[in-house]
Amino acid sequence: MPEISQLLPLIPALPLAAAMLTAVLGPRLLRKQSHWPTVLALALSCTASLMLLCKVHREAGQEEYERSGYEKIVTLYTWANVDEAYESDLRLRSPEGTVVISQGRKPLENGRLRQQSPEGATVNSRRDDSNKDSLATAAPLGLYNSEVIPFQGFTSLANDCRPEGTKKQGATIKNFRIEIALRADPLTAVMLAVITFVSTLVAIYSIGYMHGDPGYWRFFSYISLFVFSMTMLVSASNFLLLYVFWEAVGLCSYLLIGFWCEKPAAAAAGMKAFLVNRIGDFGFALGIFLIWTTFGTLDFHDSTAMGVLGKMRLASPEPIVNGAVGTAICLLLLLGACGKSAQFPLHVWLPDAMEGPTPVSALIHAATMVTAGVYMLARCMPLFAASPFALHAVAVVGGLTALIGAVVAITQTDLKRILAYSTISHLGYMFLAMGAGTVLGVTAGMFHLVTHAFFKALLFLAAGSVMHAMGGVIDIRRFGGLRRIMPVTHWTFLIGGLAMVGMIPFAGFYSKDAILLAVAEKFSFGNHVDLVYQTLYWTTFGGIFLIAVYTFRPFLLTFYGKDTVIPPEAGHHAHESPLSMTGPLVILALGAAFLGLYLEKTGGLAEFLAGTPSVAYLNRYPLAPEPSHETLESLHSSIGRQSTVMVAAGILFTIFLYAGSRRRLADRLAGPMKRLGLYQLSFGKLFFDPLYRLFVVRPLELFAQACAWFDNRFIDGSVNLVGILPKLLGAALRPLQGGLIQFYALAMILGVLIFLGVLLL
Amino acid sequence: MPHLLLLTTVFLPLLGAMLLHGDRVEVRRRALAAAIAALIGAAVLIAAYPGGAQPFAETDFAWFGDDAPVDIRFNIALDGLGLWLFGLTALLSITAVLVGWDAIKQQASLYYRLLLILETGMLGVFVARDIILFYVFFEFTLIPLFFLIGIWGSEERRYAAIKFFLFTLAGSVLTFLGLLSIVIWDYANPIGPAADWKMTFSIPQLTAHLCLRPMDEQLQLWIFLALFAGFAVKVPLFPLHTWLPLAHVQAPTAGSVILAGILLKIGTYGFVRFNLAMLPAASALLVPWMLGLAAAGIIYGALVALAQKDMKKLIAYSSVSHLGFCMLGLFAANPLGVEGATLQMINHGLSTGGLFAVVGMLYERYHTRQIADLGGLAKKLPVLSFFMLVLTLSSIGLPGLNGFVGEFLILLGAFQRAWAGVPLSAGWTLKTISILAVFGVVLGAWYMLWMYLRIFFGPLREPKDEDHHEEVRDMNSREIASLLPLLLFIVWIGVYPRFFLDRMSPTLQQLTGNVQAKCDITVTANNTSDLAPPIAPRGRGG
Repeated sequence: MPEISQLLPLIPALPLAAAMLTAVLGPRLLRKQSHWPTVLALALSCTASLMLLCKVHREAGQEEYERSGYEKIVTLYTWANVDEAYESDLRLRSPEGTVVISQGRKPLENGRLRQQSPEGATVNSRRDDSNKDSLATAAPLGLYNSEVIPFQGFTSLANDCRPEGTKKQGATIKNFRIEIALRADPLTAVMLAVITFVSTLVAIYSIGYMHGDPGYWRFFSYISLFVFSMTMLVSASNFLLLYVFWEAVGLCSYLLIGFWCEKPAAAAAGMKAFLVNRIGDFGFALGIFLIWTTFGTLDFHDSTAMGVLGKMRLASPEPIVNGAVGTAICLLLLLGACGKSAQFPLHVWLPDAMEGPTPVSALIHAATMVTAGVYMLARCMPLFAASPFALHAVAVVGGLTALIGAVVAITQTDLKRILAYSTISHLGYMFLAMGAGTVLGVTAGMFHLVTHAFFKALLFLAAGSVMHAMGGVIDIRRFGGLRRIMPVTHWTFLIGGLAMVGMIPFAGFYSKDAILLAVAEKFSFGNHVDLVYQTLYWTTFGGIFLIAVYTFRPFLLTFYGKDTVIPPEAGHHAHESPLSMTGPLVILALGAAFLGLYLEKTGGLAEFLAGTPSVAYLNRYPLAPEPSHETLESLHSSIGRQSTVMVAAGILFTIFLYAGSRRRLADRLAGPMKRLGLYQLSFGKLFFDPLYRLFVVRPLELFAQACAWFDNRFIDGSVNLVGILPKLLGAALRPLQGGLIQFYALAMILGVLIFLGVLLL
Repeated sequence: MPHLLLLTTVFLPLLGAMLLHGDRVEVRRRALAAAIAALIGAAVLIAAYPGGAQPFAETDFAWFGDDAPVDIRFNIALDGLGLWLFGLTALLSITAVLVGWDAIKQQASLYYRLLLILETGMLGVFVARDIILFYVFFEFTLIPLFFLIGIWGSEERRYAAIKFFLFTLAGSVLTFLGLLSIVIWDYANPIGPAADWKMTFSIPQLTAHLCLRPMDEQLQLWIFLALFAGFAVKVPLFPLHTWLPLAHVQAPTAGSVILAGILLKIGTYGFVRFNLAMLPAASALLVPWMLGLAAAGIIYGALVALAQKDMKKLIAYSSVSHLGFCMLGLFAANPLGVEGATLQMINHGLSTGGLFAVVGMLYERYHTRQIADLGGLAKKLPVLSFFMLVLTLSSIGLPGLNGFVGEFLILLGAFQRAWAGVPLSAGWTLKTISILAVFGVVLGAWYMLWMYLRIFFGPLREPKDEDHHEEVRDMNSREIASLLPLLLFIVWIGVYPRFFLDRMSPTLQQLTGNVQAKCDITVTANNTSDLAPPIAPRGRGG
């Protein structure tokens, strides 16, 4: 069996090779066979990922990794290196106001400092009253205490006049060194397995779905490029690389949303996605810059410097970052995560992203890319653990988004958008779990990420299958009773739906309960009552009912009903999809049905993930004393019972409203809702888009116009004014040179007279 | 010993310009040959560049002999600062020759002559190591471009050419005065025995002298402002930028490519070579001001670009924004910022030079620069839209391409300056500036992608042109050849920037080490200028 160091680079390399191959050979040579490189590469990559998973699982189980967690770093090459780029100023900021001076420096003596300056003169420095000033003065003065090299003739200096030794002593100097370093640890291994598995199935599905599209090769090239970027994202071992591929998956998303770019809506959606993500990335970048100024490294692992999330730093029980800076870093990272994972207030791009081809919606905008934010939070959990405020923020954002997504999804009529809002809502649940900041929370969030990847990809692909058969129509009001002509799609959609609502024993049940348990654990034990978590718990618990409604409403409208309703766009051959599409559906359905049960009963996933250094840190230094196993179990089972009742009630309610000929009931219920304005609120997606347009986009555009006007009139105008000056001056002096000889003679004589007069006086 | 290769490379285009004759087809072929020969020379020199802070491929002789009391030298050499700009000049000159291939119909011989003279001027600026020589090359770049804009430009070409010329000339005269006063001050303050003391114009000599016995701070400030006048116009730094959009819009494509790609960099180059290296105390004092102007340029340029309706104007204002990043990095005055900024000079040359070339190709096809006239071209011109996409993404700093590397290092440097090494209370101005600069990245994505969206996506829209009968075709192999090298470097720098950074870093460290040290002290000490300068120069060897 190959080593980890061989497997890990292979996983992203194969899709990259496929992407390049397809891009070069696709348009001329491969054409309708363009899927082969991608499908083969992804299948191999998936195999490699599964092997890696086994390998990591085996190695992480060893005793030596039990406490600190398991990680293995594979370094490919050094991307950039800037020497002596980081100089810490901790000595300037020590809280007591004393100068912390490291070895080789003389401390202050009675507030006065005598130092030899290079010229040999003595420099005295006053100590001011305020601490800050004295600190500021003292620190640089201390720097003079360096070797002073005597003057050695200046010609030899021409090549090096750099004042070495004048600034670098006493401070922590670090190089800015970025390596293309990949990591293998449980968290990465799980993400890799999920990504490559789902993407392989989606690629196979696309063979049927994209059949006959003029951009066939382009599609597969993009998909491969995406898988490359995504696998790199989850295996990157420093913040810069994470950011690089964070934006790279955003680019792939942009290209794939705008895949049918002649459709104005698709092109606009692509740009919207990119820009909203850029706002998130703005936060992420700021967070990274602050991490750099705080830690002096961007590596996760310990390399030449102590890594941000390295074992050395995590080994100590002290919070790894303190105070306002720590909270700021966490909130900025959260903003980045909100952008990518479509969380409130940056969730607005995801529904529009449904303009892309459906396999893309399934892969990128449901199963993998949008979970990058959750992954990042899990990875950075030790940072968040230091800031209760940031953890609350994560939980509140998650809970709020879960609710927003659910409320909007209930009234939408576009099947894909319903699923998009359900994705937003489920990602909110994952964020909520991360917001707990406990091992329980992180593992629950990751558990839900895995099961969600299966059932949501399944639901999207099933929706795509419907769309394929209906000739591109996706409005649930325009078809019905499809179970008769599309049995496979119907059954797999049902399984996916049951998994999504969290019906026992489908996958979503276990992962959703794990999340609820993680939140409940935050306020159910101990003396303190955390109102934030309590409120979020009951809100999201109520949200389960909404999940059931928004899942089964489109299901019933699409597949049930007395008559089979088919829109005219579908033509006469509305039929079940080909095997290349139904095959992946069935496989995903199996996963959606049994994966949760398997992982829950073996308990493997949580235990495995706890072997990640970041998670192991939480395990070692928990925020609060953990309750005993028995009390936790009883809480767990009671949550399970309650949530099942809730789900069942939701499903029955929906069936009551929509099944058979009772659709009028739903309409009757909609009446008062419309009068209250609630319906419009939900149907209008809570009016986020017009509000952003009104309060962000328009003002900025107007401001830009104003700037352009200012530039044209004012700045350029004043330049032209200066340009006119010589002309005016010339005009003023012009009469002097009239060409009249007598005038010149007169002027000359007058000049001479004045000159003589001055000379004589 | 003269280094023949560098000498030939610099003057080969000039030689080509002199020997150019024949009809239009003949002339352009010969011009291309001369440009290619220069590129080969530059490539060989770069490949042979040993790294380190020593000048490479030096040619050095005194104009008036070694005994003359005034030491003006013909001294050229490559170092880490000029190296990549030198290479970029050679590369973009080929693009410039190729983009005018069919478009230039009148006076082709004069056109290519001017282009080649311009190339020699630009190559010379980046290798000159004597103030007089530098100034000669500097002015050498001005005149050919003046004629290129004035003769082959669009409707308002005369006005644009004169504005460009006067603006730059006025600035550069002040710069020259500043440089002269450095020389004179240096002559008036001898080091060692006064009898052996000469008036020197040598840039490295002066740098070493000023490092050894720094100028009085007040004087440094005045000279800084004089140098600033010329370089800031050239960059262009907000609010001295208004000549740029006009010149770009009116210039022929090759003129825009050269102007954006290389001539603007002379400004930033001058800031490193003279302001940062020779006037460290003034530079350090003015850091907040310069960073403020840079950030203002970033945001302001981006906002004005957002409101533009003309493609060339939009890209011109994007240059204002991008050059703002360069200045931000330079005056962050730390290794990350300075190296990022120097790399960003190259990046901007590649991406914006390329963008102007593509816009020129669109203009040749549709005779319009208005964004609103075009739409949905992605379907019709897939290859062109692919090139445009890569250049756009490079320009907005997408990771994996070159722009990201520069921007990231610059911003990291700015944060390092604002957060580390500054007492918390003193840094809020710098902190605000650096955060604003990051926001410029968001705006950058907005205006560039919006332009791309309007031109290439959506339903097809082409201008109704009466005298335009021929079928619009996708890029031909000549056009692809003019852009493909740029793309190669865009990806190369993005994937493996170390190759480029390592070669520039020793020189930059040497040139800016003084201002870095000065900055750390000035800023942290809250302007306690009564402190002795932290200079402890260290000689190399005996």
